[in-house]
Amino acid sequence: MSLLKYESQQREPLVDGNKDYHQVTEDIISPIEMKPSKLWYIGFYISVSLLLFGVYSVYREVTYGIGQWNLNKTIGWGWDITNFVWWVGIGHAGTLISAILLLFRQGWRTGVNRAAEAMTIFAVMCAGQFPIWHMGRVWMAFFVLPYPNSRGPLWVNFNSPLLWDVFAISTYFTVSLLFWYSGLIPDMATVRDRAKTKLRKLLYGIASFGWTGSTKHWQRHESLSLVLAGLSTPLVLSVHTIVSFDFATSIVPGWHTTIFPPYFVAGAIFSGFAMVQTLLIVVRKVMGLQDYITLGHIEAMNKVIVLTGSIVGCAYLTELFIAWYGQNPYEWYAFSQNRANLFSPYGWSYWLMMFCNVVSPQLFWSRKLRRNITVTFFMSIVVNIGMWYERFVIIVTSIYRDFLPSSWSTYYSPTIWEIGFYLGTFGLFFTCFFLFSKYFPVIAVAEIKSILKTSGENYKVKMTDIEKADAEKFYHEVEHAH
Amino acid sequence: MAGGIKKFVVGSFSDEAVLFPAVKNVRKAGYKIHDVYTPFPVHGLDHAMGLRETSLHTAGFIYAITGTTTALSFMTWVFTKDWPLNVGGKPHFALPAWIPITFELTVLFSAVGMVLTFCYLCQLSPFVKKHHFHPRATDDLFVMAIECTDKTNDAEVKSFLEKAGAQEINVQMAETGWWIGRYDKEQKLYREEKGY
Amino acid sequence: MNHQFELPGSYKKWTWGLIVAGLLALVYGLVMFHPFAPVAHEGEHGAFSSSTRFWAVLLQNSVYWLLVVNASMFFICVTTMAMGGWQVALRRVPEAISSVVPILGIITFLVLMAIIWGGRTDIYHWLDKSAVAHDKILNGKSGFLNAKFYTIWSAICIIMWWLLGRKMRSLSLDTDKSGPMDHETSKRWIWKNTVWASLYTVFFGLSVASTAPWLWLMSIDPHWYSTMYSWYTFASSFVAGMSLIALFVIFLKNRGQLEYVTEEHLHDVGKFMFAFSVFWTYLWFSQYMLIWYSNQPEETKYFIQRIGTAGQPGPYKGIFFFNLIVNFLCPLLILMKRGVKRNWTMVTVMAVLIIFGHWIDFYQMVMPGTVKEHAEMMPFEFGIAALFIGLIMWGAGRYFTKNALVAKNHPFLKESIIHHT
Repeated sequence: MSLLKYESQQREPLVDGNKDYHQVTEDIISPIEMKPSKLWYIGFYISVSLLLFGVYSVYREVTYGIGQWNLNKTIGWGWDITNFVWWVGIGHAGTLISAILLLFRQGWRTGVNRAAEAMTIFAVMCAGQFPIWHMGRVWMAFFVLPYPNSRGPLWVNFNSPLLWDVFAISTYFTVSLLFWYSGLIPDMATVRDRAKTKLRKLLYGIASFGWTGSTKHWQRHESLSLVLAGLSTPLVLSVHTIVSFDFATSIVPGWHTTIFPPYFVAGAIFSGFAMVQTLLIVVRKVMGLQDYITLGHIEAMNKVIVLTGSIVGCAYLTELFIAWYGQNPYEWYAFSQNRANLFSPYGWSYWLMMFCNVVSPQLFWSRKLRRNITVTFFMSIVVNIGMWYERFVIIVTSIYRDFLPSSWSTYYSPTIWEIGFYLGTFGLFFTCFFLFSKYFPVIAVAEIKSILKTSGENYKVKMTDIEKADAEKFYHEVEHAH
Repeated sequence: MAGGIKKFVVGSFSDEAVLFPAVKNVRKAGYKIHDVYTPFPVHGLDHAMGLRETSLHTAGFIYAITGTTTALSFMTWVFTKDWPLNVGGKPHFALPAWIPITFELTVLFSAVGMVLTFCYLCQLSPFVKKHHFHPRATDDLFVMAIECTDKTNDAEVKSFLEKAGAQEINVQMAETGWWIGRYDKEQKLYREEKGY
Repeated sequence: MNHQFELPGSYKKWTWGLIVAGLLALVYGLVMFHPFAPVAHEGEHGAFSSSTRFWAVLLQNSVYWLLVVNASMFFICVTTMAMGGWQVALRRVPEAISSVVPILGIITFLVLMAIIWGGRTDIYHWLDKSAVAHDKILNGKSGFLNAKFYTIWSAICIIMWWLLGRKMRSLSLDTDKSGPMDHETSKRWIWKNTVWASLYTVFFGLSVASTAPWLWLMSIDPHWYSTMYSWYTFASSFVAGMSLIALFVIFLKNRGQLEYVTEEHLHDVGKFMFAFSVFWTYLWFSQYMLIWYSNQPEETKYFIQRIGTAGQPGPYKGIFFFNLIVNFLCPLLILMKRGVKRNWTMVTVMAVLIIFGHWIDFYQMVMPGTVKEHAEMMPFEFGIAALFIGLIMWGAGRYFTKNALVAKNHPFLKESIIHHT
């Protein structure tokens, strides 16, 4: 027994069943090698149709102009920015799982990180659509780039939070992609080395960058992952922070509040984990990966959900309280009338948000409910609805009543093309996810192998002797082994 | 950096608990381990093989401060020299407003630079073909390749490996050079490490 | 480890030396600053009286050190809830530090009560009834900012930290008596721990992460408000709390105790110090930048009071930027290196620096709104700090000598022994 790592038997196994290294490869890679199921095709085609509908909606918006949407004075940011923030928020869980949980050495991340990271990348792709098409004259989109130009030379405004977004989102996308792909390379090599057909050999050969599994390469790879994790952790925080700056740097009542940055980040993690739950509960079932994404994994994620939900709740109440405490009549009006007053035009959305994000996750204090798949799946949807409404509440309830009652706007509800655009991003997201689940290992094979002998069920049962050993004796054995 | 064809004795291990003592013994016996190919990062194997620590993270730090400097100096130049612009009454040198972009570029430079450096050091890139000593090295085997010189007796090495617990021992000819690794010099000899 | 740990003589000497120095400073303050003299009215010429300084310094120190020792229990609770394993080998250290919460809690409560019921309107302007009556904004806040609510809620906060913390400590100490636990007992024990830890954490959210800093510190500038304030205060006290844990771990290790603690554990404590220094800066920046950016007079006045304006630098400008250098730049650049986090001496230096740095942070939170431009940093200020440090050393030392230093029956102890970063 090489005593390099040890995990208490108090912890649930992270890999169930009687597994060895080869079995892990077999379980995770073989779905890629088979023809997709009928269900896969159905799902894929539905996603593509949604995507096409989205493309058409965007086509309408581009050819006829922003007037195709119901944006009005004063609601210049309606569904599109709501959706943008919502998608970006969802795109936080993946990198969080891989980065922060790597730094915190949470072993359970190995089961879910690959799919969550993929989800992150797709969600950020969806998010990016909204500000781009919201520009209206999308062919001018390159104006956001700071390059020497013929307009003055007039540079972009580096003091504008909207420009910070350009940098934040593009950096986040790039770094997440690099992080995700650098983790994928060894697994792609595994697929390559198992490939039977020439085409697969060629394609996975290209995708695996010629990975051999050399010890030196692994050493560098680990160092790379660690530093990328260290970089991604503040990066994740910064992205939603900067999104929150879009609102908080302004002087709009309900937007200008200093707690926005950490509160947005907590909310992003909250909704991101909910989306991971939604996807993985389906994936584990359809692809038969229950041994790798166990109830323990689901429970761990539900714990994160109740934690971040409560942090968000704390922030909601802080905001509400300080709006009163500040005694600024405009701020207090935005909170007490535009939001918390159930009978105001949008009051329902505030309470829906409160219920979905703060009240309902409290269910997960119960261990039984945390480990119930149906409840979890249902809750993950509720949370995502709630988090969508959070952004809707922030945007719409703050700007539909301007400082002067004469400029209060009419009730805003989206047109079919606004909805179509939103549905289209679902299409994009799921199309990508279906392709990913078909052609990529949805679980990080190498990482599972690295925890197998400490956290695999069949290995853990053999640890009873160590578990029972005296700490003092155990200490000396460990010392001796070094 | 073209190299010639070299001869390797290759043995596979199925358990890392057997691999560790084997690595130790092989090195002790004075054979040169070309590399060990593993399906996942085996904790402590790099130390057992006498590989030096990587300094990739130092490179990352240098890229990071390059990013910081680029962002700050560029924005300073644009807003104080090239085209000073009054935005909301803020000073031209509006440092707090530039922190977000500075941070993003710091991370971007560092991440991109590190990944490229990693790929360069490990000679990883699409369309690169390397010699694979065993196809199951990415599945469930730990594959050790021992480099042979003119004086090496293959049979001796083979039996040595067998005693150490290896299976499927064979001799392979492979082209050295950059695609099968160029870090021979990074590996300390066992004697040097132990000081005898 | 069955033998009882004896505090070395030098530790005792330092403890009593600091306490005596602190008491001298306190007596000096009581004699020289007339703390119980009536408050000079604001706006009057030459209104400043040194009694303000007395109470401001006591407020700053008592709240700061209380939150710092309380952060230890928060650390225990979050690591318990996260099922952390690595910290078990040093778990008794934060326990010992948190055992000081009752002592500092009582002192803090007495200080707060003396300020509130002594009518220290120079500390809390909102205590001035006639001013509040003429001030629409303060009048509107009086539902929250009033002496009764302040008293009751402060008492509840301190008592709850005390009781819930005591429960957590006793759960841990029980395992020493009960002997090795079997699988089922361990499981139940972990469960019980988790339940109490989550209760503590929820209450922590309701107190430290929200209401307590609003009442105790933010209301010094009663017109000003910032939703970030309490989270910022939390970050400040937590990073100082981690540094305090590091200091005691290093002290015990130097005394040949905590045999299971290695550089690996130190490395992780160092990571916490590093990460939360960055986190603190993140909150600092978010609060500062948002207020700077939107530039609304009712918010910017908080910072103008400190840094001043371009034409007229404020009295706290130096301290304000010093705060950033000590609490951000130094930890960022020095603690970034792996070797530093694994070096006992360097971590000691950094821990002292961080604890001092956040003491300065609290100083600049309290002083500008109370003593205004009359702030000083003289032996009195440091003397009062010494008193609190001495008390922490005394309380933690008592815990170390009374209890085993390793929770040897903790189910995750072996994970901590074999821990590698």
